[in-house]
Amino acid sequence: MQFVLGVFLFVVVVGVLDARLPWPKAKDRSAQT
Amino acid sequence: MIAGHFGFAALVKGRERSTPLWMLMVATVWLDIVFVPLFVTGIETIQTVPGRHGYGAAIIHADYTHSIAGALVLSSILGAVSWPLWGRRTAIVIALVAASHWVLDLIVHRADMPILPANYLGLPRFGLGLWRFPAASIVVELVLVLAGAWAYWRAAKDVSAQANRGISLAAINTVLIAGSGILILWLDASS
Repeated sequence: MQFVLGVFLFVVVVGVLDARLPWPKAKDRSAQT
Repeated sequence: MIAGHFGFAALVKGRERSTPLWMLMVATVWLDIVFVPLFVTGIETIQTVPGRHGYGAAIIHADYTHSIAGALVLSSILGAVSWPLWGRRTAIVIALVAASHWVLDLIVHRADMPILPANYLGLPRFGLGLWRFPAASIVVELVLVLAGAWAYWRAAKDVSAQANRGISLAAINTVLIAGSGILILWLDASS
């Protein structure tokens, strides 16, 4: 139960909210070549 | 150890700012995610230590997902899948975070993690067994959660300020990371 709750809280809730922050983007492979 | 893994992912995010946090969170429990269907089908099992119950009382027979070789293969697969999406550097970070699961588990598990899948060749199993001392194990997990939240806060505050954005979302996320980690740890410890 803790594992499922942890995945939901950290991956879904925190992960989605975090994506709204202005983090630098990871370069995709085409941008590196 | 559940909360500690997520705390470690937040700690990595503080340094690897371009790696999506949600993917770091997936990576840090990737071995456990693969463990779930194997557990449901009875291929991998959990045994309770005789005379103990609750937090840290498990001997986990995850002989495929948590063998050294299995962990390396699974981490490599996750890294390979990530490469086309986010590039080589991020893919390597994700693979290393996935592999870190085995290292963190090494600290707490009893000697139940084999070298080869299914403990092929009967080689020694690994695990330093901190779960025998639940209070110490809880402290380690709590430190990982709080250090992760702190590293995340510093990075999130920085990027928000650089983009001339408010820091409220960074603060909310930090509180969520710390609060969720403490909640999971509390549920785990009181189970």
